[in-house]
Amino acid sequence: MKSVAMGQYYAAESPIHRLDARTKVVLAILYIVLSFVCTNVLSFALLLVSGIFVILMSCVPIKIVLRALKPIIIIIIITAFINIFMTTGESLLFEWKFIKIYKEGLFNAAFMAVRIIIMIIGASIFLTYTTTPIDLTDAIERLLLPLKKIRVPVHEFAMMMTIALRFIPTLVDETDKIMSAQKARGVDFESGGLIKKAKALIPILIPLFVSSFRRADELATAMESRCYHGGNGRTKMTVTHLRAADLFAFFLMTALGASIVIFNILNIGYTM
Amino acid sequence: MNPFIEVENLSFVYEDESDKIPALHNVNLKINAGEYVAVIGRNGSGKSTFAKLLNMIHEPSCGKIIVDGCDITDKNISDEELFDIRRRVGMVFQNPDNQLVATIVEDDVAFGPENLGLPSDEIRRRVDGALKTVGMENFSRHEPARLSGGQKQRIAIAGIIAMLPECIIFDESTAMLDPIGRRDIVSMMEKLNREMGITVITITHYMNEAVRADRVIVFNNGEVVADGTPDEIYSNKKLITDAGLDLPQCAALAQELRKNGIELDGACITPDKCAEAILRALSKKEVRDE
Amino acid sequence: MSKISVKNVSYVYSPGTTYRTDALTNVTAEFESGKITGLIGHTGSGKSTLVQLLNGLLKPSEGEVLLDGRNIWENPKEIGKIRFRVGLVMQYPEYQLFEETVRKDIAFGPHNMGMSEEQIEKNIEKIAKIVGLDELSLDKSPFDLSGGQKRRAAIAGVMAMEPEVLVLDEPAAGLDPEGRRAIFSAISDYREKTEATVIIVSHSMEDMADFCDNIIVMANSKVFMSGTRDEVFSRSSELTSIGLDIPEITRLMMKLKEKGVAADTGAYTVKSAAESLIKLFEV
Repeated sequence: MKSVAMGQYYAAESPIHRLDARTKVVLAILYIVLSFVCTNVLSFALLLVSGIFVILMSCVPIKIVLRALKPIIIIIIITAFINIFMTTGESLLFEWKFIKIYKEGLFNAAFMAVRIIIMIIGASIFLTYTTTPIDLTDAIERLLLPLKKIRVPVHEFAMMMTIALRFIPTLVDETDKIMSAQKARGVDFESGGLIKKAKALIPILIPLFVSSFRRADELATAMESRCYHGGNGRTKMTVTHLRAADLFAFFLMTALGASIVIFNILNIGYTM
Repeated sequence: MNPFIEVENLSFVYEDESDKIPALHNVNLKINAGEYVAVIGRNGSGKSTFAKLLNMIHEPSCGKIIVDGCDITDKNISDEELFDIRRRVGMVFQNPDNQLVATIVEDDVAFGPENLGLPSDEIRRRVDGALKTVGMENFSRHEPARLSGGQKQRIAIAGIIAMLPECIIFDESTAMLDPIGRRDIVSMMEKLNREMGITVITITHYMNEAVRADRVIVFNNGEVVADGTPDEIYSNKKLITDAGLDLPQCAALAQELRKNGIELDGACITPDKCAEAILRALSKKEVRDE
Repeated sequence: MSKISVKNVSYVYSPGTTYRTDALTNVTAEFESGKITGLIGHTGSGKSTLVQLLNGLLKPSEGEVLLDGRNIWENPKEIGKIRFRVGLVMQYPEYQLFEETVRKDIAFGPHNMGMSEEQIEKNIEKIAKIVGLDELSLDKSPFDLSGGQKRRAAIAGVMAMEPEVLVLDEPAAGLDPEGRRAIFSAISDYREKTEATVIIVSHSMEDMADFCDNIIVMANSKVFMSGTRDEVFSRSSELTSIGLDIPEITRLMMKLKEKGVAADTGAYTVKSAAESLIKLFEV
């Protein structure tokens, strides 16, 4: 249960880890956008290969990256199936009763699958695996800073995120403890129907709510006594500046984008 | 010399939906800069309310609190002045989990200085210094959730030290700790006071923590019922039991011995002091016997 | 005779991962029937794990837990019944209160046991008296009680199930001296009225000295020392060697002994120390 909370970040010293979190957020978005730009086999292959190259550079074992794909395998399979059976095209490959499979369908299915895989790889390798949640929150806060002008409470959102991240392990622990305490008073979480199980949650949820409110109250007091007064006039201990490496990463991503566009125009391989 | 904190006719009433519960009644106190003060009393005696008034987390119902010449209960006090008071009078709370804000130790210590709007390199210097003071410099990149209670409390102290306070209030900061954590935090209090000259006010009901202070203030039913050195306070059995507190075992022993006609001089509130007094009494007896 | 015991018990958290921790290694301990046994040790010494093994919240990785001589995991489906016979009060039990009234909250455990309404009513009456909660507070919301009262209400919720073995993990943690005294006198009272076997986990040697018949000291996932109160406190220097606190009075007596005074270092209460010292002055 505990590994769910913060277990995503993979601690390592790699060029990817060292990139500014803001750079990584932008790179992840660009990478995912590029997967929608791709229209033929070669451009997809190029994108996938560069993704694998980033994984290798990040020192995160491929096995762990693949683990991120596990929960969405079903989605990939379903999307692939829909594409195989629903796409109509010119070259019919197989026909049985009402089922018709076209070559276009197969390719579309493969493209969609690769696209989803690229999205997951992009988000996980640039963000969750190589950036700590706190850096990520900071990066998002700074990237969204312009929105403050139109009165979006950017700082407050970031603060809420930070506090939520901070308290996830605490609340997981607390839930464990309350569950044990109620088990000792004879609550049975395992057996019984849905209604009985839902009822068994009441003795867990009420104490959890009560204690969360108490925690929130105490935390607010503690923050206030440490001079917290919102984002105005607040400074940061670590102000990261974009370095040469960040600029180089942007350059590589631009080059990748340009190559994909060129491949698209050249129409090499099968085109969607 | 002017006292650092001056409390005049301070009263506080908790307002519930239905009733009003007086928590503090007409408290008058002066605390000098550099003092090490223990505030003791049973639960509900008003000692914690008193602490929360000192940096204006609660507003008093009536009375004045003057910190270094500045009346913090003044309705017209500016935000800047209030933040400055909160910086100078820091507070460490009871539950170590509920006062840490960030997911990384050093970010948490930086929280206060960041609120003060200090330049980044200054914050970095203070955070490193504060972590060193509390002996947690090797944990700067750790997650607070994985630390022990005593370690979390040390991080909380570092977070206050990084704001360069003149006074730190410990509001039952040892109550939820195990003996090792408690020992750690108490010796930290001593270090802050004796080596760094910070005024320490500790709210506690553990007598063995209070005996280490220079001065003990006893609260009962929202009033100050006694104010003196630990020797004076803990030699007074009636005072301590009336306030719902425990007499240190050694003080109780001394009482018992005196009842049996053994003359012990001085206060016997700690094992060391008590042992010395017994040794003196024994040698006196030997002289008499000869 | 032992009411409940553990035999060669080991417990491992998260086996097979990098977080693997051995909480208990080959622990054998007995808890005497009808007596109060104190369980003491540093945080992480394994005492909280041991306590959760006793009522079947955790299953030992190795070894057995015996209640009245029978392995409690003999029939894993019946483990729920064991939890009623071995009542466990966890640390800060007031955080488990959830019902509208204190009365309903105390009745929660007994209801789950399937106890009759009549019996539940009778038990609440009896237990409320033991823990010192009056009629008025029984009908209040548990969230409106004071800290000490909340703690007593939560303990009452376990006592009302009338467990044969009552296990309490740090029952007085964080309370003021009056609150502590109230909790401990309630526990002694419960033991006297029901002849239950009681096990108390505590950090405080003074509490151990005042309330426990037997003491088990845990260190590094093992039993470090066990015996009657007198036996354990007569080995105070060993206790200090593993960094445990000893009662102030024992520390005083050890100090006197160092200075060549014939003080009884086995004394752990004010009374026994006073007696020993008075004798010295009478010679």
